[in-house]
Amino acid sequence: MAEITTTVALPAQGEALLELGGVTAGYGAGLILRGVDLTVNRGEIVCLIGPNGAGKSTVLKTVSGLLTAKDGFVRFAGNDLNRLSPRERLGLGIVHVPQDRSLFPGMTVWENVEMGAFVLNDRALVRRRLEEVTERFPIVGRRRTSLAGSLSGGEQKQVELARSLMLDPALILLDEPSIGLDPKSRTAVFASIAQLTEDGRTVLLVEQNARSGLAVAHRGAVLEAGRVALTGAGSALLEDPEVGRLYLGASAAGKTPRLDAAAPAAAAP
Amino acid sequence: MHALIQAIILGILTGGVYALMASGQTLIFGIMKIVNLAQGALVVLGAYLTYTLFTTFGLDPFLSIVITTPLLFLVGVVVQRVLIRPLRGSDVAELSLLVTFAVALAIEGALSFAYGSTLTNVQPAYANSSWTVLGFQVSVVRFVAFVLSLVLLAALYFILQRTKFGRSVRATVQNPASAELLGVNASRVSAIGFGLGAATAAAAGSVFGMLNAFNPGSHYDLISRLLTVVVLGGLGSIGGSVIAALVMGVASSIVSAEAAPIWGDFTFFVVLLLVLLLRPRGLFGARVRGAL
Ligand SMILES: Nc1ncnc2c1ncn2[C@@H]1O[C@H](COP(=O)(O)OP(=O)(O)O)[C@@H](O)[C@H]1O
Ligand SMILES: [Mg+2]
Repeated sequence: MAEITTTVALPAQGEALLELGGVTAGYGAGLILRGVDLTVNRGEIVCLIGPNGAGKSTVLKTVSGLLTAKDGFVRFAGNDLNRLSPRERLGLGIVHVPQDRSLFPGMTVWENVEMGAFVLNDRALVRRRLEEVTERFPIVGRRRTSLAGSLSGGEQKQVELARSLMLDPALILLDEPSIGLDPKSRTAVFASIAQLTEDGRTVLLVEQNARSGLAVAHRGAVLEAGRVALTGAGSALLEDPEVGRLYLGASAAGKTPRLDAAAPAAAAP
Repeated sequence: MHALIQAIILGILTGGVYALMASGQTLIFGIMKIVNLAQGALVVLGAYLTYTLFTTFGLDPFLSIVITTPLLFLVGVVVQRVLIRPLRGSDVAELSLLVTFAVALAIEGALSFAYGSTLTNVQPAYANSSWTVLGFQVSVVRFVAFVLSLVLLAALYFILQRTKFGRSVRATVQNPASAELLGVNASRVSAIGFGLGAATAAAAGSVFGMLNAFNPGSHYDLISRLLTVVVLGGLGSIGGSVIAALVMGVASSIVSAEAAPIWGDFTFFVVLLLVLLLRPRGLFGARVRGAL
C-alpha cells in the first residue's frame, strides 16, 4: 500500500489535461467505442451527450481504468494511462463518480466521505480534507451521523460529490449526476458542479439531461455510434439545430427536454 | 423453576460459543455472498489441533488459541485464494457451495486419516470443575469459553467498526463496485475476510473440543446448527447471528432439560423450518440484512 502520488505536473489552465485519441473499447469481443477523439482542457467542464447506449459511460471507464482501451491512447497531463491500474489512476488525481448510486447505504455520511480518501495514509491530511469538504458541502456536517441510505436522492448526490473531493482530484468524471432527481435537487447538483472548477479542477460530465448539462459546461461533445460526432462550445451546441432536434427535445417550449426522445433510428448518421 | 434457570444459564453459555462460530460464517457471507459449508469442519479442525497441542505438548486448550487462530487464518486465506477466487460467472454462489463442501470433506478425510473416527475429547484438569453461584452450577470451562467468545466477538466488532480495514470490509459488503472505484482491493478484502472467518472457527474449535466429544464427522451436525443460527439471524448480520445463537442455545438447552437431550438437537431443525416458513429473512427482517 504505497502512499499515493497526488503530485503530477498539471498543464496550465486552459491547456489539454485529458486527451483521448482513436480510443476503441468494448466488453468482450464487440467494440462499443470505435475511435473516440476527445480533449478536455484544464479548468473546463466538458459535457458528453449522446443517445442511450452510445458508450458515454464506457468512455468514462476507459479514463478511470475500469476498462482498458484496446487501441488508441488515453493521456492525462501527458502521461499514458492505458497501462495503469484504476488505483494508480486514482493516485494521479482522477476520480470517477459512477452512474448508479455509489454511497455505502449502511455507513454514516461521515464514514462515506472518509472512504473517499481510502488510498491516503496521512491521517492529518485526511482530517484537513474532511474539514474543507464539510465547509463546501454543509450537508456532510449536518447529516454526519445519518446513515447514507436514509438520505434523499438529491442529498446522496451531494454527499457523492463531497466524497469525490477527498483526494483533491485534478479530474472528476461524473456519470449522469442528475438522473432520477427532482427538479430542485437537480438545480442544486448543477450548481455544485459549476463550483467544482472554481479552484482549477476539471470535469468530464456525462448527462442525460442534455440542456442542463450543456448549460453548465464550457464545451460539449456528442457521442454517436462509438465516435465523437460533434464538439463545440456548450452554448453553441445548445443552439445547434441538429443537436436540438436529436437531444434537446424537438418541439417547442413547455415540453421537458429528454434525451431518450432520440430513438436509435434518429441517432443514426 | 430451578431446573429451568439452570437450563437457561447453560444455554446462554453454550450460545456464546455458537455466536463466535456463526459470526465468522456471517462475515464470509457478507463479503462474498458465499455460504461457507466448511465452517463446521474448520471448527473440528481447530478442535483436533487443540487436542494435539494439549496431549502432545501439554498446552492449555484455552491458550492454544494463540496458535490455532493464526494457523486457521492462513488456511482460510489459502482456501479463498486457491479455490474460491478463481470461480467466475453468474453461478458463483452455487459453485462455491460445492467448493466449500468439498473443503469440508477434505478436512474430514484428512482428520480421519490422522486421528481415526473414534470420539475424543480435550480434558484439561479443570474440565469437570464448576462453581456454585446462588445454588446454580456454572461449569468453569463453559464460563471461560463464554467470556472468551464475547471478547473475540468484541474484537471482531472493533475491527469492523473502527479500523480502516474494517471500513473497507463494510464498504465491500454494501457496494462492491463503488468500493473498488475508491481504491479498495476487493480480492484482498475477500481473502482476509475468509481468513478471519476461519480464525473464529479455530477459536471456537478449541472450546468445542472441551465441551463436546467429537470425531472428524462432527462437522455435519455443527454446520446444520450454524446454518440455523445464521439464517435465523438474517443472513449477513453479525449482530443478528449473535442474538440468534443465544436464542438457539437457550431454546435447545431448555428442551433438553425439560424433555430429553435428543429433542434439544431437534430444536435447531424445528426452528430452522419455522424460520424458513414464517420469517425467511430472519428474526430481524431485511432491515439489517447485508449490512453486517
Ligand atoms: N458491463 C457491460 N457488459 C457488457 N456490455 C455492456 C456493459 N456495460 C455496457 N454495455 C453495453 O455497452 C453499450 C454502451 O453502454 P454505455 O457506455 O453504458 O452507454 P451510455 O452510458 O452511453 O448509455 C451498451 O450497448 C451496453 O449495453
Ligand atoms: Mg451511461
